[in-house]
Amino acid sequence: MKQEISVLMDGELFEDEAESLLNRIERGSDVHRDWEIYHLIGDVLRQPDHIHCDLSAKVRERMRDEPTVLAPRGHAVKQKMRTFALSAAASLSAVGVVAWMSMQISPEVAPKMAMQQNAVRSVNVQIQPKANDYLMAHQEFSPSTDMNGGASYIRTVSYRPDEK
Amino acid sequence: MAVLPTSALFLTGQMKNNTEKVLAMSVRAAFCGLLLVAANVYAGEQQDSLDWLKIVAFAGHQTDYSGIFVYQYDNRVETSRITHVVEPDGEYEKLESLDGPKREIIRHHGHVWCYTNHKLEQVDGQNQQMRNRFTDLPPEQLSLLGANYQANVVGIERVAGYITQAILFQPKDSLRYAHKIWVHADSGLLLKASVLDDKNQVVEQYAFTQMQLGGKIDRSWFEQGATGGKQGTESNISPEKNKDRKQINSGWTVDALPEGFMKAMEIQRAMRGKHRPVTQLVFSDGLSAISIFIESNDEDEDDVEGISSRGAVNLYQKVIDNHLITVVGEVPPRTLMQVFYSVRYNGK
Repeated sequence: MKQEISVLMDGELFEDEAESLLNRIERGSDVHRDWEIYHLIGDVLRQPDHIHCDLSAKVRERMRDEPTVLAPRGHAVKQKMRTFALSAAASLSAVGVVAWMSMQISPEVAPKMAMQQNAVRSVNVQIQPKANDYLMAHQEFSPSTDMNGGASYIRTVSYRPDEK
Repeated sequence: MAVLPTSALFLTGQMKNNTEKVLAMSVRAAFCGLLLVAANVYAGEQQDSLDWLKIVAFAGHQTDYSGIFVYQYDNRVETSRITHVVEPDGEYEKLESLDGPKREIIRHHGHVWCYTNHKLEQVDGQNQQMRNRFTDLPPEQLSLLGANYQANVVGIERVAGYITQAILFQPKDSLRYAHKIWVHADSGLLLKASVLDDKNQVVEQYAFTQMQLGGKIDRSWFEQGATGGKQGTESNISPEKNKDRKQINSGWTVDALPEGFMKAMEIQRAMRGKHRPVTQLVFSDGLSAISIFIESNDEDEDDVEGISSRGAVNLYQKVIDNHLITVVGEVPPRTLMQVFYSVRYNGK
């Protein structure tokens, strides 16, 4: 693959082969990165005034941090019609954003979130065995002893599997 | 001939009129009656459900039984065997774990022995007068229970092969758990009990999978004194009993108890591994209880802060002003926290 890329860069690949490789470069991020690196190496070797480097990731990152502006601020807007049109556009774009957001929460993410919520309950800290005597002292006066009889005393001697 | 039909017709017409009136009246009466009955049924059902509690408590003490039950909590299941026999000198009860390390609890005459780690220890001496709280539950406590929970007979279900009456106690606020019990219709024994949270999720559950009522039940474990339990009672427990614990007025109070919790007990007691006596306050709303333990923090237990739980029982512990305060109860954690942070010393 890497060799193919370097052959393509040297302009020695046949047209149909070049096309399929370019397609792959477009689709695969790994191949794309190789393509970029090879160009960077070439640029550095040729010692030009400007070295090309990929800003796209950084720009994308900065854009993600920017607050989303749903509608332009209507300082110059006077006409009613225009306001209406703009607000309509704004609500449309809002719908778009909501739709986009709901697409972001993909079906795979939803169960994961539900799992995290479930986990909250079981993450509860277990009562330490050394606190058993408090449970025993409490159990004696608890109405559950009257209801369940001695069965509820099992609480007071419960063990944890990680104990011996 | 010509007159008769008319008069007959008239007669029937009048009769019809009368019948209508009578009918209307009786319908009205029936409707009022129905309303009354409905109100009575409503109150009656609540009363019936509360009566079931008394039956359960009575049956639990008076019946010989032996059975295997599962205790389910925190995504775990434990299986245990329980044997209960009534002898002239009181009840004997043995609880033994069937999985995990061997643990056994024997109760007799208000004393509790615990067999863990290959040794038998007396862990608690219980005052005989404190028993049968449901059966001699004062009417005001029972009405308090009725005020805090909506009790309903919810149906007939089969548990461990027996026909049971299912009763649901739904709390009227979110500060306590809901309780559902399944009572054997013939004997009054409790065959299953669930504790549910406000999302109707099971917090913990006891259920018999097999139960033998009466008949020939193994009594060798206490007759032969194999456990040494009974001897223990005579030799060293009785004289110590009074020294073990005493009723006091500690001066500690709780300001933010949920409505309907009444003080059941305030004692000073000895506890295993503690050099000084521990003050214990118990509050109950009829179905669940909250215990508050207060001790001076001379054990240097400063690593114990926080909430922990086992099934329906939650525990919150923290050192405040050199006192180790422990709150334990079958109530949701938030209720426990509310109680904990309202504990204060009101004495001298």
